[in-house]
Order: sequence, then structure tokens, then C-alpha cells
Amino acid sequence: MSQAVTPYLEMSQAIMDAGGEALKKCYQCGTCTGTCPWTPITHFNIRKLIRFGQLGIDGIEEFMWGCSTCKYCVDRCPRGVEIIDVVTAIRNVYSGGGMLPQTLRSFVGSMSARGNPWSGDQSKRNDWAKDKYPLFSSDKEYLFWTCCTVCYDPRNVRLAKATAEILNQSGLSWGLPDVEVNCCGESLKKVGDLELFERLKNNNLQYFNKKGITKIITVSPHCLSSFKKDYGGDYQVVHFSELIASLVKEGKLVPRKDFGGVKVTYHDPCYLGRHSSVYDAPRAIIASIPGLEFIEMGRNREQSMCCGGGGGGLWMEKLKGERLSDLRVEEALATGASVLLTSCPYCITMFEDSIRTLNADDKIKLMDVSELLLESLEINIDEPVADTCNV
Amino acid sequence: MSRIGVFVCHCGLNIAKTVRVSELAEFAATLPDVVVAKDYKFMCSTPGQEMIQHDIKQYNLDRVIVTACSPLMHEKTFRKVIENAGLNQYLLTIVNIREQVSWVTTDIEEGTAKSKALLNGAVYRARLLAPLTSRVIDVNPDVMVIGAGIAGIQAALELANTGKKVYLVEKNSTIGGHMAQFDKTFPTLDCSACILTPKMDNVLQHKNITMLTYCEVSGVKGYVGNFDITIKQKARYVDHSKCNACLACTEKCPGKGVSEWDEALVKRKSIYIPFPQAVPQKPIIDRESCTFFKKGKCRLCEKVCEQKAIDFEQQDTFIDVKVGAIIVATGFDLMDTKPLVQYGYGKYPGVYNSLEVERLFNSAGPTSGKVTMRDGKEPQSIAILHCIGSRDKNHHEHCSRVCCMYSLKFAHLFKEKTSADVYQLYIDMRAAGKGYEEFYNRLSEENVKFIRGKGARVTESTEEPGRLIVEAEDTITSKFMKIPVDMVVLSPAIVPRAESKDIGRLLNLSTDKQGFFMERHPKLAPLSTMSEGIFIAGVCQGPKDIPDTVAQALGAAAEALTIVVNDKMELEATTAMVNPASCCGCQNCVRVCPYGAPGFNYEKRVSEINEALCKGCGLCASVCPSSAIIARHFTNEQVLAEMEGLMEF
Amino acid sequence: MSFEPKILGIACNWCTYTGADLAGTTRLHYPQNVRVVRVMCSSRINPSFIFRAFQLGADGVLIGGCHPGDCHYNTGNLYARRRLATTKKILEFAGLEPGRLRVEWISASEGNKFAEVVEEFTMQIKNLGPQSKLKIQQ
Repeated sequence: MSQAVTPYLEMSQAIMDAGGEALKKCYQCGTCTGTCPWTPITHFNIRKLIRFGQLGIDGIEEFMWGCSTCKYCVDRCPRGVEIIDVVTAIRNVYSGGGMLPQTLRSFVGSMSARGNPWSGDQSKRNDWAKDKYPLFSSDKEYLFWTCCTVCYDPRNVRLAKATAEILNQSGLSWGLPDVEVNCCGESLKKVGDLELFERLKNNNLQYFNKKGITKIITVSPHCLSSFKKDYGGDYQVVHFSELIASLVKEGKLVPRKDFGGVKVTYHDPCYLGRHSSVYDAPRAIIASIPGLEFIEMGRNREQSMCCGGGGGGLWMEKLKGERLSDLRVEEALATGASVLLTSCPYCITMFEDSIRTLNADDKIKLMDVSELLLESLEINIDEPVADTCNV
Repeated sequence: MSRIGVFVCHCGLNIAKTVRVSELAEFAATLPDVVVAKDYKFMCSTPGQEMIQHDIKQYNLDRVIVTACSPLMHEKTFRKVIENAGLNQYLLTIVNIREQVSWVTTDIEEGTAKSKALLNGAVYRARLLAPLTSRVIDVNPDVMVIGAGIAGIQAALELANTGKKVYLVEKNSTIGGHMAQFDKTFPTLDCSACILTPKMDNVLQHKNITMLTYCEVSGVKGYVGNFDITIKQKARYVDHSKCNACLACTEKCPGKGVSEWDEALVKRKSIYIPFPQAVPQKPIIDRESCTFFKKGKCRLCEKVCEQKAIDFEQQDTFIDVKVGAIIVATGFDLMDTKPLVQYGYGKYPGVYNSLEVERLFNSAGPTSGKVTMRDGKEPQSIAILHCIGSRDKNHHEHCSRVCCMYSLKFAHLFKEKTSADVYQLYIDMRAAGKGYEEFYNRLSEENVKFIRGKGARVTESTEEPGRLIVEAEDTITSKFMKIPVDMVVLSPAIVPRAESKDIGRLLNLSTDKQGFFMERHPKLAPLSTMSEGIFIAGVCQGPKDIPDTVAQALGAAAEALTIVVNDKMELEATTAMVNPASCCGCQNCVRVCPYGAPGFNYEKRVSEINEALCKGCGLCASVCPSSAIIARHFTNEQVLAEMEGLMEF
Repeated sequence: MSFEPKILGIACNWCTYTGADLAGTTRLHYPQNVRVVRVMCSSRINPSFIFRAFQLGADGVLIGGCHPGDCHYNTGNLYARRRLATTKKILEFAGLEPGRLRVEWISASEGNKFAEVVEEFTMQIKNLGPQSKLKIQQ
């Protein structure tokens, strides 16, 4: 068999047409691969992905699913290549031909059929709230956008309740979205299904317009990034932590409970940090809580390491030894902290899994910053929630 | 009625591709007062020039319009052409249909239409042009050179050897610049000091060179041929006219400052000369670290100085000099790599930048030329990281040009002086100079490991404390590498000297995106600037190696000489003048002029313009409420006529 | 046929005119609606030039000078800046849309900026439509 390959420039053009225009700027220096958190532990090679894309060479499918869109490489790329756009475009071009990995099929199927990734019943989107919180109406200032993951995933429902309860105490005027909305579609876009993403986006935008939404609070950094960068609607959008940090600063929320010197560390979610440049707000909240000893992990802020849950990673199976979340939890353990804090439902899901598989439940507890804040505000959520994971 | 000739240039296909040149010439022939219109392939060539001169005579032309490239390119050329044919040079008009038409469109219809409008405007303007007489001024024969690195030294010596007097201004207390910090130069590996120090000595001995070290240019007035410069002599606290360079003071001094010369790798005394071969050999006191200045006590240097040269009361002084031309050779800095946290510079003691390594190799350096690190040990394994902050949109887009080669030189010297393994982490190996590729080959033979991939991260080893791990992908094998090393050398982007911004402001020099000084034309006038009489040489114009720097310095010296070799020169006649009949005496012009050219004649109650001072900006003309001031060559009537012509089509 | 505006450009010799040349040398393509008059300094621009341009039927006027602080004549563009701000007000008073006069500081190294400004300004004038307020009808 001939080992020679011929560049297939039509394919390369198709990738550029699908939004991967930046492909052509790459000069193959390898900064991306050297920076990528996957390179040391898997066969995924982001530079090769781009190289194969530049020439339209077969074999690209092998490593097109490795990227978790953490944006570390994009920030470092000396040529300013929007690598995530390239990944998205390649997935778009290639996944059309039935090349979607098995594990992503149920994810995309659920998105298509039910408008959320968790196979949840659309009408039950707000069931977690048990009618305790108001729906958005025109007299409200903020729409509190609850991510699908916090609505349906039992572990993350706790996060939904914590954030909603804090907002309740904050004195802000806010409401939940109606059940007619669907997933923001951020992960779906990164998986390459641009057509379905458009459908979900337009449905949400229609709802925003109908309701006259001007201000949105998101609990997930993924929704935040999507609303900011992909939707282009005429509204302001903030992450929960940004808004709460300012309320704490103004003295409108006063953390009281003293934790008596408990050691905590914080993991910067990629979509809150590198994608949206929010680093200080969660740390300000942590600093406002009495009796915490805060320890940074070696890799923090702009250098933070990915949990592996972005870009569809949350729904893909990874072998032991190929999971970033395991490495990150080990890094957190090494600090000696007994609580690992973060502020993203995807990170929560990934780390929850890792803590379990690493048998570290007794060494470290995983919490969202808002959950810890709620505890310090000395507010009880009515009834205990099931402490289980996975649907 | 004037008699205008229009000459349309094709510039090969540069213009003709997107402008129908023959149609343009036919169109020109229909315009008022145009008696002849022609097009030709290359108007600036000898046949083109001869055609213009021939037609001036044949058709008795009194105005010439050349429709071609930018006036910034060939206005001077064509002025000379018509002058040689007996026409006043200011009766020339250039229509820029290349840079501002044919090169910025792909549509021949648009290109032709716009060219017609521009040409029409030019005809309207040309009809109102008046012959002007160039001013002739006296030229000061002296030259100032700013910066005494290899470029400044070379330029100064060259000029001084022609008999011209040169002021060589250097902000440091010694001349020599970066080259004096190096040990060897690539690719020949000849000793840097052996080339440079004799030149430094020549500067010191040369009767035509006034060396002004520890000085800064603080004010510039005047214009080509007659610059008035103010130079600040920073206080040295040592009277150099008394000092006999015995250096007894430097031995006794208990103060410790950071050695700038050794890139902060070691301390030096508070009264010091930067390095043993410094020129001049006379010390200065560093106020920041001097015990007396800090605590009010000490004065040991004063006690040991037999010449009574120490003067703690010394103040900054100012020196005024007059010169006819200026050469700027302010050189470079390395980019600060601390913000690139991934490389750990400033965090890990084993990470060095390239200038620090140059000092380690230098026998007059902090380690006397032995390669030992901050911990005193000799490295067993070394990684050299190319393109740190260069070729990088997040920092500096330009290629710093010399890093590939000096990194190879480092590798060679490491191999020579240590038994270390040496890795080069590069993106592209750029060895495009005489003997450079051969040098690259030689290094391969010396068993240097080349890894084609940019260094991505430097971390500390968890297993062996103190060791560093360089992470990078070798893009050839697609393998992610973790290379344990003792020493990391960063090759950072080369950027203009921090102070060059101030120099640029003082001298009205434009800079490019990266802050390097812009040449008047990248190919035709690479050493001239937009400011007449001011030339640039060396890395202040863009990164370059020593041979290119020296070549530029020689060129800049020749350029400066073309001005100061004559005792008179012609200046643009485009100055302002006052029509006393309509001057209302408001003195607006006197107030606004940055050069003090207009003065008020109290006897006649009118303003008058001193043409020697006027630079022809036209500001006074536009603030004159009674339109009494005429900006020659840009009169209200001329500008308005051109506008009218432009708007007709 | 779509409306092709006529735009008068007045550029200083040292910065904007050179910048425009650089746009050409780097072969940046931009709309051909702007015709540039070269003056030595933006401070040479008398407000009457601008009024006259509109009278002559210019749909827009684009003025280019060195960045404030970088003037070849030290302070010329600072005068120009103030004067042009006033001119803009007067034009507005005369009933002209202020968007028809644009002042930009473009250095000799900003060929890109020149092309971008021309592109944008041409678009802007196209949207404003033909100028007839000050145009002298023949």
C-alpha cells in the first residue's frame, strides 16, 4: 500500500468555511501541544490536529475528540490562532458523517429531543425549586439562568438551591426562566453540532426577547461564555460569583459562621477564568468567609488546569490515567486542604467522580463557593437533598 | 494662461494594471492649459526624464505634472529633471496614482476614475503655482552621534577621520554598548573585545571626537545644518578633569551596588568603573548605594583620592553644542521576560536571559568566564529556548533576527567550557547570513540536540530539587518532552531602548509598531528619517547583527557627511510670508509658531517672518484672520483650486 | 446605481499621507471614494477649506494628522485638534450631520489604520446619503 498522501485542500477549505479560518495562520511551533494539559497523558495532539486540518489529510478523526476547550493554548499561541474555533469546525465537518463517538450520541440525542443534555423532562426543569422561587416576569430585574446540569443532575441540584437561596437573601429582584427554555448549547457547539446549536440558541433568544430580559445571572460559566460570545443578544450577563462578590463587598450579604481554620483551596474553572477572565470574584467571596485558611494550588488563575469537562468531555468516557480531574484532585490533596472549592457545575461533576474513584472522600470535600457561602450565611435549605451523583 | 505638460507613468504594470494610463493621458489633454500629455512605461528612467526635458523645450512648457508614484518617492528626482531643463523646480506637481490609487484597488474602472479626479485637481493647482527661490543657509560642520555602542562608535570614527568634529553622546559612564558585554561574536567566534576595545581607544584618542559619557540629550532646537543641542551631563561626583584614573577609590569603597554591566549577576562598588576596559577609565559614584549619600558618613574615596577629584556637591550641568547633522544609534534592550510566568525567569535561579549568559562567558565577567550558575555549580545540562516573546502576537510580532545565531554561539561555548548536554528548542532556524549556515552545520557536529518545538513551560523537578524541567513538544516526532536541565537560557525579544521614546520625541522621529525608528524609505532611504539631517543606524532601526550594524553606521556617517561636507545648503522654499498691506497686527502668528519665526515689527505695526526659522508648516497662515500670511506652495488659492479639481469628477 | 460618495481627504505630509502611502506599499485595498490633498501639517487646514469642500459637493471630509504629541512641528496638530472641534460645531449649527467630518490621527506606520478609517468612513457617508445642505447647486 502506498504510504504517500496527497493534500486534500477541499477538506481544509471546508474546515475554514465552518469557522476554522484561523487554521491557516498556524506555523506549527508546538506551543499549543507543549501547553495542552492532555499532551502528557494521552495521544491527543492539538498541533497535529491543526496540521492535518491545514492539508486536509486523512487520520484527523483519530484525535479530534481529545480537546476539552480549556483555552490554555489559545492564550499562549504566538500566532493568535483561535484553536477552539478550529477544533469546533473540524468536529462540525467530520462528525456529520456518523463519526460521533458512541458516548456523545446520547448527549446529542437528548439535546435534540429534550433540549437538555441530561435526558430530563423539559417540563420538569424547575422541579428542583418546588415553587419556592418566582419565575421571571417583567417587574423583575434579573433572570437567574439555571444551567441544565444544576436543574437535573442530583449532585448539582444542591448548587441550584444554594445559589437561589443566596439570591433570595440578597434582596435582588430576580426570577427563574420558564420551562420552555432549553440548554444554552455551549457544549453542543464545541462538539461541532452547529446546526442544532443554532436551534437551541434561537429558542432561548426568542424567550429573552419575549420577556424583555436585560440582565442575566448565570450559575454556570459555560452559559456565561455562550451568552457573552455566541449569542450576541442585547443584554448584560454576569456570573453568580461576580454579582455576589460585589454584594458581599457592599455589606448586603454578611458571612457569619466561623469555620475555625479549615483549609480550603480553589480550582479556577476554565470557562470562568481563561474564557471570561473572572479570577478575583470567587476569591473575594472566599476571603469574606470567617475562619478559612486559603491555600492556592501551584497552577492557579491564568495557569489553572482543566478538569476535562469542557468541549463535550463531561459526556465522554476516559480511561483511568487519562483523566485530568484525577490529576487536579491530587493537586488539591497535595495542598493539604480539606475542602476543594470551585464555581462551575461541570467541574463539580468531574471532581465528584474523581474523588470517589481515588477513594479520597474522607480526605477532601468538594463544594461550590456558593455552597460554602450559604453555610456561612447560616441559612438552612429546607430539607436534605439526596447525596448521589450520576443520572 | 500657463502651458502644462502632463506625463503619466505606467510604472511597468504597477500602475497600468489597475489604471488605464493611455486613457488618463488622453483625458489630461482635454484639461485647461494642458498643451501636451503623454504616457510612458517608466517615467523615472533616463528615457522618461529625457522625454520630459525634451517636451519642456519643444512645447515651451511652464508647468509639469508627473502622474506616477508618491511625491515622497520621486518628487526630488523630477524637480531636478525640470530644473535641468530650465524650469523652476517648484513648478512641478506630482500626482500620486500608485501608492494611493493603483496599489489600493483591484478595479480598473475605480482606479482610472480616481486618477482622473486627482489629475484634474493637480492641473487646477498647477496653474496657480509660482516659482520659488530656495533659501541658502550656512551649515554647521559638526555632527552629533547619540549612543556609543558599536554603531555610534563606528559612525563617529568614520566622520572624525574625514576631519569632521563629532560629539559622541552616551548615557552610560562608558562607551562600548552591548557589544562590550559579549565575549565572542558569531559566526567567526572572534573575540568581541579584540574588535571593539581598539575602536573604543581610538574614540578616546581622536582629536576630532568629543566624548560625552554619562550624558543625555535634553533639548533639540533648530533644523538641518543648524541644530542647537542641549546635553545634560549627569553628576558623576568625580571631577574627571582632576581624576588620574588611579582607581584607588574603587578599592577602598565599602558601598555595594548592583552591577548593571554584569546584568545584576554580581555587586560592584558604589564608586566604580563598569568594567576594567571601560572608556573613560574614570569612575563615577552611584548615589543610590553610596554610603555617604545614604547615611551622611564615609567619604573614604575622598580620603584616598590624591587628586582631590571627589566632589559630593557636584550637580547636573548642561552643555550646549551646535551641529549640522545628527546620527541616532540608541540600540536595544531585551524584553523583560518576567511577565511570561511559564518560563520562570526571576523565579528559578537556573533561568537566565541571553545577556546574562553573555556575561558568564566573558573573561571580564562575574565568573571570569567560567560557566557557573548562581549556586556556584557548573551546569550538566542546558536548554536554550528561542523566540521568547519574539514572533509572538501576544508580545512582539517581529523576529529578533540574531537569537538563532547567538543561541548557536552559546551552544558552542557551553560545549567548549563545560561537559554539559545542550538542547536548542527552536521554531525555525534562521541562519541567513554569510557563514551562518556553515556555523549551524558545525554545531550539529558538536552534538548539540536540536528540538524543533517552542519551549512551553519551565518547572521545578519534584524528584530532584533545584533541577528544572523544560516542557515542549518535539514537533518532528510529535512527542511531548520533559527535559531535565540545570540551566535554562531564554532568548528574549529585542526591543528598542526604553529611552529611545524620549529621543524620538525630541528629534521628531516616527516609530514603527514595535517602537523602532522608522526610516524615510525602507529601500531608497533606509538610514534617513522624516526629519531632514537626522539619520539612524544599528538596532534602534530594527534588530540586526554586528556586520549589518557596522554597515549601517558607515552608511549613516556618509549620509551625515553629505550635509556637513558643504558649508552651505539649500532649504525648501516653502516658507510663509506676510503681506504687510493686509496684516491687521493681531499677532496670532507670533503666539502660535513653535519656532518663533514670526516677529512683530512695532514700528510698522505688522508681523514679519524670519525665513531662517520657518519650517513651512503653515500654521500661521491658517490662524491669520486677514489672510495676510501666505504659506508658499500651499497657498489658500492653490489648496482650494486643487480641492475644486478633485470634486469635479 | 448605488450612491458613491465623494470624500475629500486632507492629510499631513509626515504622518497620515505617509501612512496612506504605506497602505499602498502593503497593497491594502480600500474604497476609492477618498481623494487626498496633501498639506505639510494638519494645522495648515483652515476651516474655510472644509466649508469650501462641502460647498463643492463633498459628501464627507476626512482630516488626518499625526498623533497628538507626535507632530512633526511639535504642536501643530494640537492647534488643529481644537480648531477642528470648533469647526465641527459650526457645521452642526449650519445643519450638517456632524458625522460628515472626521478627524483621525494616523501615524506613518499605521497603513492599516488608514485603510480601516477610509473603509469605515466611506460606509458611514454612504449611510448618510448625498450631502446637499451646503452644496452650491450649479
